[in-house]
This record gives sequence, C-alpha cells and structure tokens, in this order.
Amino acid sequence: MTTPLLEIKNLHVTIEGKEILKGINLALEKGQVHALMGPNGSGKSTLSNVLMGHPKYQVTGGEVLYQGRDLASLKTDVRARAGLFLAFQYPTAIPGVSVVNFLRTAMKSRFGEAFQPKEFRKEFKAAMAQLGIEESFATRYVNDGFSGGEKKRHEVLQMALLKPELAVLDETDSGLDIDALRVVAEGINRLRGPQLGILLITHYQRLLSYVEPDVVHVMMDGQIIQSGGKELAHELEAKGYAPYETEKAPAP
Amino acid sequence: MSDKPISVNENYDQQYGFHEQEKYVFKAKKGLSKKVVEEISGMKEEPDWMRAFRLKALEAFLKKPLPGWLDPELLSQINFENIYYYLKPTEKQGKTWEEVPEEIKNTFDKLGIPEAERKFLAGVSAQYESEVVYHSIHADLEKQGVVFLGMDDGLKKYPELVKRYFGTVIPPLDNKFASLNSAVWSGGSFIYVPKGVQVAIPLQAYFRINAQNMGQFERTLIIADEGSSVHYIEGCLPAGEQVSTGLRWMNIESIQTGETVLNSDGEEAAVRATRARPYRGDLITIEPLSGENRFRLTPEHPVLAIRREEVRAPRKSRGKWLGEVNTAKLLAAEPRFVEAGKLCRGDFVVFPIPQTTRDDSRYTIPVLRLLGFYLAEGSTFVHRTLRMPVVVFSFGSGDSDRPHVEETKRLIQEVTGKRAIEVANRKNHGTSVLVYSQPLRDLCLENCGKGAATKELNKTLMELPPEKQAHLLETYHFGDGSRYQRAHTMVRASTASKALARQLQELLARQGHYATISLRPGGPDIILGRRITRKDQYILYHSPDRRMGEVRRRGNAFLVPIKGIRRDPYEGPVFNIELNRAPNAYLASGFAVHNCTAPVYASDSLHSAVVELIALPHAHIRYTTIQNWSKNVYNLVTKRAIAHENSIVEWLDGNLGSKLTAKYPAVHLVGRKARGEVVSVAFAGAGQHQDAGAKMVHSAPETSSTILSKSICKDGGRASYRGLVKVYPQAENVKSSVRCDALLMDERSRSDTYPTMEIDAKKVSIGHEATVSKVGEEQLFYLMSRGLKESEAVTMIVNGFFEAFAKELPLEYAVELNRLVQLEMEGSVG
Repeated sequence: MTTPLLEIKNLHVTIEGKEILKGINLALEKGQVHALMGPNGSGKSTLSNVLMGHPKYQVTGGEVLYQGRDLASLKTDVRARAGLFLAFQYPTAIPGVSVVNFLRTAMKSRFGEAFQPKEFRKEFKAAMAQLGIEESFATRYVNDGFSGGEKKRHEVLQMALLKPELAVLDETDSGLDIDALRVVAEGINRLRGPQLGILLITHYQRLLSYVEPDVVHVMMDGQIIQSGGKELAHELEAKGYAPYETEKAPAP
Repeated sequence: MSDKPISVNENYDQQYGFHEQEKYVFKAKKGLSKKVVEEISGMKEEPDWMRAFRLKALEAFLKKPLPGWLDPELLSQINFENIYYYLKPTEKQGKTWEEVPEEIKNTFDKLGIPEAERKFLAGVSAQYESEVVYHSIHADLEKQGVVFLGMDDGLKKYPELVKRYFGTVIPPLDNKFASLNSAVWSGGSFIYVPKGVQVAIPLQAYFRINAQNMGQFERTLIIADEGSSVHYIEGCLPAGEQVSTGLRWMNIESIQTGETVLNSDGEEAAVRATRARPYRGDLITIEPLSGENRFRLTPEHPVLAIRREEVRAPRKSRGKWLGEVNTAKLLAAEPRFVEAGKLCRGDFVVFPIPQTTRDDSRYTIPVLRLLGFYLAEGSTFVHRTLRMPVVVFSFGSGDSDRPHVEETKRLIQEVTGKRAIEVANRKNHGTSVLVYSQPLRDLCLENCGKGAATKELNKTLMELPPEKQAHLLETYHFGDGSRYQRAHTMVRASTASKALARQLQELLARQGHYATISLRPGGPDIILGRRITRKDQYILYHSPDRRMGEVRRRGNAFLVPIKGIRRDPYEGPVFNIELNRAPNAYLASGFAVHNCTAPVYASDSLHSAVVELIALPHAHIRYTTIQNWSKNVYNLVTKRAIAHENSIVEWLDGNLGSKLTAKYPAVHLVGRKARGEVVSVAFAGAGQHQDAGAKMVHSAPETSSTILSKSICKDGGRASYRGLVKVYPQAENVKSSVRCDALLMDERSRSDTYPTMEIDAKKVSIGHEATVSKVGEEQLFYLMSRGLKESEAVTMIVNGFFEAFAKELPLEYAVELNRLVQLEMEGSVG
C-alpha cells in the first residue's frame, strides 16, 4: 500500500481551551481532489490553519502525516518549503510590501537553489496573464486594499508559482462573482494533476461544478460525519445541512 | 600567523595607507567659556553682531536647565566640559577644487569626493571636523543665482542676507541646545534659491564626527525665495568600510560605480555607490583556513558567519583545541551577519562559489587544454632575430612529462593548424615545445596574460561552464601541480602570480573543491647549484576526494573556519561599496561581508545642529535627513521652518543611529494656504532612545499639515512620538492630520506617544490616529506559510512598515535605509 499524501488520524484541536476539532479522520492520495463541506463554525478553517501549523491552535490528540511525515514538530515555513500550501480565506494585508517582491522572496524560499532569478519575471507575468491579472498588480502592496476577488486570484497566483504538492484551498470561492469564480476555478483546474493533491474547503456546491472533486466530506461540529462521491455535494445543495444537524446534534 | 599587520590589498600601505597629520590651525580647549566663544568668533573674523549673538546665546545656555521632559537618565550623562567645541583643520576654505589646501585635497581625492560630485551631485559640502573644507556647486545652478555655501562662507559673502534671516526662525534663546549651537556653531550649509528657480537635483551634504569627544554644531539656513523649489539632503555619512572584492580581486578603493562585482550569493551585481571615510580605531584581521585569504575590516563591519558556539557538539574544548562541531548542526545553521569584532577563532565564515556561467563556443576543449598548459609551462615572445612570434612550452625531460609533451604538440596542431617543434634543452635537461604562431600568441596573451608573476585569466574563461574549466585545470595541474597521496589525495600547485592563485581558487571552488592558498616568501635560493632570487610563490592545496579540515559545503558556498583573528590599531581611510541589488553584501578576499555601519568611538559625542528653513510665498522646500550616527552620539537637533503663503515645506526625517535623539521638525504656517508635512521614521535598538516627533503651528487660515510618524523598537529600545498641533484663533479652515504607528518587536521595548493638540480656532478639521502594534501574528503566519523563515518574515514586515517613508527618498537613500533596517533586524527573532 502506498503512503497517502495526507493522512489525518483522530485529530483533536483546541483554541484557548475550547475544543474545535473532535477527532478528524481523512486520507488524501496524490492527484486527488477532496472537497470538505460544512456549515459555518463546523471547524473547516481551523483544520486548514492546523494543517499549515498556525501557532494559535493546540493539537491535543491524534496526528497529521504528510507524505508519511508527522507534521507536529515542523514549523509553518518548513511545511511550506516541503510543498504544503494554504490558500487563505481571509489573507492578511502586508502594507508596504509589493506583490512582486513578496512572490520573489516566497519562490526563493520554496525552491532554494533551484530558483532562477532570471526566469522569475517571465514566469510571474505568464502566471498573472493566465489568471487575468493586470501587470500593475505586481507593484501593489500584498492584500492591501484588494477586493475580495483580487485576494482570491492572488492566492491562486501564489499556488501556481509555488507549485505545491498539497494545496488546501480555504473557501477560495467565497466572495467571488460568477466571472471571477470561473477564472479562479480554471486556475485551479490548470494546476490539477497527478503530482498535486487538493483539499477544497467550501461552503457551497457552486465551485464544485467547475472543479470536480473525487471525494466529498461533510463536516459538522468538528467531525467528518459523512464521506462520498461528488453526488454528495449535489445532495447537500438540494437539502442543505439541516438534515445532518438534527441527526447529529439534537437540541438539548 | 605572522604578527605583522598585512593588508588585504597589494600595495595597500603605499597607495592608501596615508593619513594626514593633524594640522589644526586652531583647536579650542575642552569645555565652554566666554573666552572660548570669543576665540571662535575671532578666528572666524566674524562681524560684531555675530559675536554678540554668540555671547548672548552662551549666557542663555549656561542659565537654562536641561529639559526635564527628555530622558533624564541619558541626558544627564553628557559632560559638557569634556567636549571640544571647535576644531578648524585649515586656514582657508576653498571654493574651487584647486583652492582646496593640499592635505585636505589629498584626503578627499582619495576619498573620491570630486568623482561623486562630477557624477551626480549638484554640490557636496563635507563637514570635516567642524569646518566645511570643500564645497562646490554645479555651474548651472550658479548661473541661475543659486547660492550653496558653507555657513561660514555664506556669512562672509552674503552678510546682509544672513543677518536678515539667521536666528529668526530659531532664536538663540529657544532651547538649551539651540543656545549651545548658537554660541559655538561652525560649518553647516547656507542655501539661497532665487525667485522662480527650481533646483532639480537634490543638494547634499555629509556630516561626520571624526574626533573623539568632538561636538558637531553645524548650522544650516535655507531660504527659498518666491516660487522657487529645492530639495536638500543631509546624511550623516552612512559609514564606509574597507575590503576588497569581486571577480578579479580589485582593490576596493579602485572600484568605480557601475562596475560589476560578486555579491554574497556568488552572483553578479553592479556597484551602485562607493564610499570612503577616514578612520581611526582598531581593524580586525580575519584569517580563515587559507592564510592568503585573510582580510581586514573595522570591528563593526558585518561578516556573514556561523558562530561555533551555536553548532558545537556536546564535547568540550580543551586547551588550544576548539570544541568539536556537529556537522549536521553546522549545515542546518543559517549564516547571519556578525560584527567582525565579535567573531572568534573557530567561527565559520562563508566563501560563496561564483555562480555566473556563460558559455562561449570559441573555447573548445583543445583550446582550454592548451591554455592550461600555457598557464603552467608557457611563455610567449617575439623572436628578436627572426622577428617571429613564438609560444614556448617548457617541460621536464622525464618519462612522466612525455605524455604532456605529446598532448601539447597534438593540441597545437589542432588549434593552430601548425606543426609544433620539439627541442631538447640540454642546459636544464628539459624539453621545449614551440610554435611560431601569431594567433596562438594572441590567444594566450588575451586569455592568460604573460610573465610568471603576472599571469591572469580573463573574464570569459572565469565564467565558462565548470565542466569546461575542468579541462584547463587538469592540464594546468599537469604542469604546475603535483599530486601526492597521504591518507587521501592532495593536489598542490604553485604559482608566482597572486592574481592567478586567487582565480584558481575560484575555479576549483566551481569544481566543488575548497583550496587553501599559502604564501612561500621569495628570496635567495639555490636550485641545482645555481644561486637565484626566487619570487614569492603562492601555494594552493586542495583534495579532490576529501574535505579540507572543517570546511564544509553548504549550498553554493563553503563554510570555512577562522584560524586566526587579530585586532590592530589603524589610522587612515576605510572603504565600502554598495551594490545595486540584494544581498548588498560583497566578497572580501572571497568571503562574504556586508557593507557598512556607522563608525563607533570610545566616548560619547554630541551633535547639536540648528536648521532654519524659510519658504517665501509659493516656494517649496524639502529637507531630508537620514541619521545613522554611531550609537554613542547624542543627537539633539532643532529644526524649524517658516512657511509663507502658498508655500510647501516637507521634512523627511529618518533616525536610526545615535544613543539619544531628540528632534521635532516644525513648520510655522504663517501664510494663507501654506502646507507643512513631516514624515519621520525611527528605529530604536538596545540602549537607544529615539524621541522624535513634529510640530505644526497654524497661524494663518486655510493652512494644512500632515504628520506621519513611524517607529520600531526592539531589544529594549525606546521610541517616543512627541507632537504638537497648534491652531491660533485667526487660523480658520485649517486641516491637519496626524498619524503615528509604532511597531514593537518584543516585550522589553517601549513606545510612548505624547500628542498635544491646542486648537483655538473654529472650523478646523483635525484627524489623529495612533497605533501601537506588535509584529502581527497573522502577518507572520501568512508569510511563513509561503516558506519565509521567521526572521525573513519579520524583516519583510518591517521594511514594509517603513516603505511609506522609503518611497519618498531618492533611490540610493531608500536602498540604504532598507539595508540599515535589515541589518538592525538581523538576529532579532528565533
């Protein structure tokens, strides 16, 4: 049996003493796209932050294996250089730091000696063009005054350039109009391939009609309560999360 | 290790080890008295009104207490009796270069100031000790009537203008330090821009404190007449260092702006600026494993290094033996810049492998192999009687040389199409291979030079792909090299050319081998019974199958242990260069060092300047300062402007250095629609207190002002914002906005805000916003999630924080600021 790209085993996570994740289990193979769906507050974003090693969260039980390696002791930057990528739901502004400077530094970190300074500009421009981003974007400050759509495109742009092996996309579809959604989805599809695993965190089904998942998980109250094929997403779209809520957590 | 100090640069002492004798025409005694002030005024042959002005100010200074609100702990440490208030280095102040006294001229000549002036400065006014000794102005500006003089000269040549404005913006009784300056001022700049003249190029002045216990009390007065504009930049010379660099081991002082050198990543970078400064103090000599790579620098000069103590194996050091290093730890450690003075024997310095590779198809393998033989055994000349160009290769006659003789003959045939001649040389039992060929002679000369002691490879060869260079190295080693086996293979090569030795070291590095260079001094010797005078020989050792001692390869660099380190007193100029791209660090004898920091003297100095700006109607003045005084300087400066109707005054104020800075640039908006702006940034590290701010006084209607203040503190440093916005009753429809942001790097550091608003008018719009933040956890997480290390992420956030200031600066100052900030931030996290 091959090692899965990502394996989450009975993961428990708390923040400020409050338990958010209550035993998550998930295995994602190379080349697969998994969708993780669930209502607000179910712990989806917590999971994405924990995967990337946010210091705010405490892992109180279970483990996360990436390419068979336990992530617990690895700092965020080490995970990133090992090919883990998180597209943020609410990326932070870094005033005064230009996009181009930020991306050049990021790529240098990610690829080390293999980074080709001479090729960078070409690659950068091409990636921007593919996502329909104007060149003037390069000199703007990272996420500073970006519209919702610009932020999401910027995340996908980074994903394209940093060539991760596992990408976690946290609500990359939220706040996008239909045109922006299509561009972003096309961007994701272009990157999709046998070398990349994607965990697509989303609230709605609509992104999934562009980016077809291999597996869909439903998350409620810190646990994955159901997993299935893409038809599960359609079911959720039709019925909403309500049936699960009553089933899972009856009112006290 | 010899105990005689050795320079990095050949002939350094002959060429650059000059120092000017102290020929001060007048050196006031330490301390302050009426007599001292009178002497100063008398020496300067000043008019009576100035003498009276000084004496009145002295009286005020002696009476006034120290300001109680300003850091009493630091302030009380100033000993006003222990300061020289005036030093005059020479009798005469020159206007043209020719008029500058010879000694000073020698200094500045070697410091490259006229060069800088020719290239991009409109005028340079350098404050050497107390007096402005050289100053000139662009001819175009002079034609337009722009006056840019030293303050003393200004007083002599434009007495009426100076009398009318001097001390009107900042009266001598204004505050204790303004009083002090008014009593003992010397030097500074006087600028007058006539009506309607726009000065396009920034006017610049450098100030430095050279002598210990020396006060610096310069006085600047800028008058921008109606409708004119001017940008003045004041830098406390952001220091400069010594040290050689680059592709071809040039002496640092001969490097010129625009030339290409290697940076600490082993990549090419252009030199953006060169700097030099006189220096008196210790120099550190660092001798890495490889004696001939030793280099010298000032103790505060940053060197890329890994401290041994951080990568030690658990075993302890014993006697002369250093503690053992844990290789895994060493390779995982991130080199960072450490001040040379703090390095110890056993620490590792970084020897980057040159990365530039350009192939050139003309250099075929036979050509390279032949050049390798030439380098080792060849010589070329024009045969006197035959008048024919000859290239000769001299081999021994033993069996081991036979294959090389054969190969050389074959290569000559292949490269030149001519048949080589083999001659047995009975006199020295050798075999010579020679060919009459002009093209081959040209090829050899062009690529390798001639003469055993002066052979040197050209740039194209140095940059060929390493796999091609391997051929040249191989045949070179057949000749000049010898290979012997101990526990492992050692290859030794010797050459009389120092340049070639260093180039070979570089070529070997590109092959993945670190070679050491040692010197076998020349002198009388006996070879085969003949007395000869042998030249200095540079001996290279490397081992193709083993590492040299503790040397380890890490990425594109070798980590090399320091074998010896020494501190010697020095007096003379030190040099520094600045690169056009990051990392702004270059190679000293092959090792990575950063450029610059400010000079440090043993005891505290006082800088107390007064700057007065007068913007007449519709004029525009911008005054930029980047202050990087050494960390023992008290920088207590009074800066104030008067802005008349429709004029604009901008202060850009960057404060990085000094022990205590107190500086609140002010604009008095006295004319309708005048506008004032202060953008200031401050950086406070350990032991520093930056007390900076701004004052805007609105006394006319429709005036507006903006204050943007940014400060960063770390390691217990302290930054304060102290600001005043005052609006008088008659000033209606005033707009003012104040924003101060402070960024704290740790819990020990401190930031305070003392904003004062005195608004006596109606219809005013005042905005005030202040933030104090810690470096944001979310920002750090975001950047680290893209692979940046924590320290890199912090530096990026900090540089971004300062960007609003930096983007207003001319490029070279912005780069300088970024680099200074980075330097201050290094090692601050993790």
